[in-house]
Amino acid sequence: MLPRVKRETDGYAALEPALEADLITRCRNRERAAHDELYHRFRRPVAANLYRVLGDRTDLDDLVQEVFVIAFRGLDRFRGDARLSTWLYRICVNVALGRIRTRKRKPPAIGVADLDSTAIDPSMIERPEQPDRSLERQQDQRRVYAALETLAPKKRIVLYLHEIEGLDLKEIAYLVDSNPVTVRTRLFYARREFYRAISGDAALDPAAPPGDDA
Amino acid sequence: MSKHVAPEKWADALAGRVSLDERAQMNAHAAECDACKRAQIRVSRASDTFATLRERQAPEQPWDAIRTRVTWAVEKERRDTERTTGSVTKIPAWSISRVFTSRWTIASLAIAAAGVGIAFGVHHFRAAPQAWVATGGPGSSSEQGSAAPAKIVATPANVPGAPLGGVIVRATGNADTIAIDGAHPQDLFAQRLGTGSVIATAEARLDVQFGDGSAFALGPSSTLELRHFDSHLIELRVDGTLDVEVGPRASDQRFLVIAGEHTVEVRGTQFQVRRGAAGTTVECRHGLVAVSDKAGLVEVAAARRVTIAPDETLGGEHARDRVVPLTVDELAQLADATPMRMPVWTDADTLFADSAPLTVAAPDAKARDIRVDGIELGTAPLAIRVRPGRHLVESADREGRFRRVGWVDVATGPARIDLPAEQPPNASAAIAARKAQLVAGIDHARLAQCTRSIAKSGLSDTYVQIEIAIDANGSVGFLNVLDTDLPSATSACVRDVLAGVRFGTGAPATFRERIDL
Repeated sequence: MLPRVKRETDGYAALEPALEADLITRCRNRERAAHDELYHRFRRPVAANLYRVLGDRTDLDDLVQEVFVIAFRGLDRFRGDARLSTWLYRICVNVALGRIRTRKRKPPAIGVADLDSTAIDPSMIERPEQPDRSLERQQDQRRVYAALETLAPKKRIVLYLHEIEGLDLKEIAYLVDSNPVTVRTRLFYARREFYRAISGDAALDPAAPPGDDA
Repeated sequence: MSKHVAPEKWADALAGRVSLDERAQMNAHAAECDACKRAQIRVSRASDTFATLRERQAPEQPWDAIRTRVTWAVEKERRDTERTTGSVTKIPAWSISRVFTSRWTIASLAIAAAGVGIAFGVHHFRAAPQAWVATGGPGSSSEQGSAAPAKIVATPANVPGAPLGGVIVRATGNADTIAIDGAHPQDLFAQRLGTGSVIATAEARLDVQFGDGSAFALGPSSTLELRHFDSHLIELRVDGTLDVEVGPRASDQRFLVIAGEHTVEVRGTQFQVRRGAAGTTVECRHGLVAVSDKAGLVEVAAARRVTIAPDETLGGEHARDRVVPLTVDELAQLADATPMRMPVWTDADTLFADSAPLTVAAPDAKARDIRVDGIELGTAPLAIRVRPGRHLVESADREGRFRRVGWVDVATGPARIDLPAEQPPNASAAIAARKAQLVAGIDHARLAQCTRSIAKSGLSDTYVQIEIAIDANGSVGFLNVLDTDLPSATSACVRDVLAGVRFGTGAPATFRERIDL
């Protein structure tokens, strides 16, 4: 059994293994109610994962749809060597990766991250905070996503999973369908590029080895 | 440390992956190097940002719409796969060999074939009008319609077609008034419609699906007879209003709608036939239909209509002039009348077994739009066929916004959900609710900051009187400070704080409120 990704379900969607197996069986038998249950259980974690990876909510509903279509289509091939939530997380990562690649080819008309849109969407408003603190937080987030945008898609995903989601190399390797050694190499260069971009001063790197787009 | 510190080193240091000695050297270098100090701060802030991003939740999404799209996509793909592989219609080899090795079966087939030949001849003698419709090729269609089509030769079917099954998928209005074969059925949704069925709607509209992408809807005060209903020939005789949408069909299947003296041959996909005292009207939304009688034929293309009065025929040179374009409003009405179809059709038997009726009952006479699983399905009262499972039922309120009525679990039997009676708007209750939301939503920390300077100067017991309008969505229409004893800058700050209060959906309200600070 592959390692269970730690924060895949954000707590509230966790399911007992027996119940999960039953749900998968019912889904494979094409029970509409089971499909509904799976969808209702995982829709918010899926959307949250996609949102965190991509940093904006453009076409988020389409991406959620894509994840579930792939999931329902592939349930027959799901071997059960990982938790259902982990498997769904893996689909999320792949869908997000595809999205990042597409976006790199076709840059969006507006900014990279629409983090400012929190100001106009009541659903995104959480507890009001100090205006200056809120502005500062948004600027920091925008800076982080802008730095992530400079990375190659594979490096970006690996860095995101490690630094933001807090996953270890083995878990990341499963999610990106790679091996831990490759992930470690990718992560090394991703971190170097990311923090150099964040610091905003390329001259700070004392001994930069040649770049790699692994 | 003479060299600059690599930026990722600061991240390592924050994560505790750097020894204390090295950390001390890095800090010492940063104390002398502005660039490294700046990098240290930025990396530190990025690390803090990671922590906030980790807890970031996605904004609300149109969950029901997404689910509907997912279901549709998955089911469609499954059906297409089954159709391609033939898994549904595959006939075991043993059954074929057994049939053809039986002498008695061969004799029976011969007798049946003879009978079919006789029946087929009788049918065409009885049903076919003088000018039969030829199979329209692409070249036969025209924008305005054509009045001189080729002579028609019906494609004979050598063997009887497989009987089709019509499944009732929706009944809107007073479903008790619907009669099938002259009787009012107790369980309308258990009725299976086939050749010979006669449907009469009085105060209801009935939607019937008979294929993947094929359905018809019989309007109120209408009668429909299914004279033939098999895979080779569909022939419907209508008196009243009939909306038809036809999916892709087998090339040898004919589809006719007979309205009085006029015959509508389906060549396209969606159209409406109205037969009444004023004559026959055929409107085509998309695709192409051919309307004929004993005197001639016209083709009605997409977004066009032909009207034939009771004493008129389609003969003569000016027959094509009867075909007129539809207005945008008429097209929209035609689109609204599209028959309901379930996206999970394989065959009638499967649909009967895998679905159940859901009745949405309305307590008052006022018609309310209903949405099930995010799809608008008409006005209550209505009954629809749904798949087993949990379904979300919503009804439109007075302002036309859909509100959740509740979830309903549908198993294999009929299910029912009653709409709650719509409450008359209560202005005082609405104002009280909005005032409570206002008071609860004020950010007191920000408010204290606004009044901090005047509090320092000893000014207390101040107030602001505001007037505020909130609509049903929770949006603030206006917010005015009517009276206050605060300085203008402080008053503006307080107003900003109040403008930051978020209201949920609810009754609209406009009120004045005094806020003591």
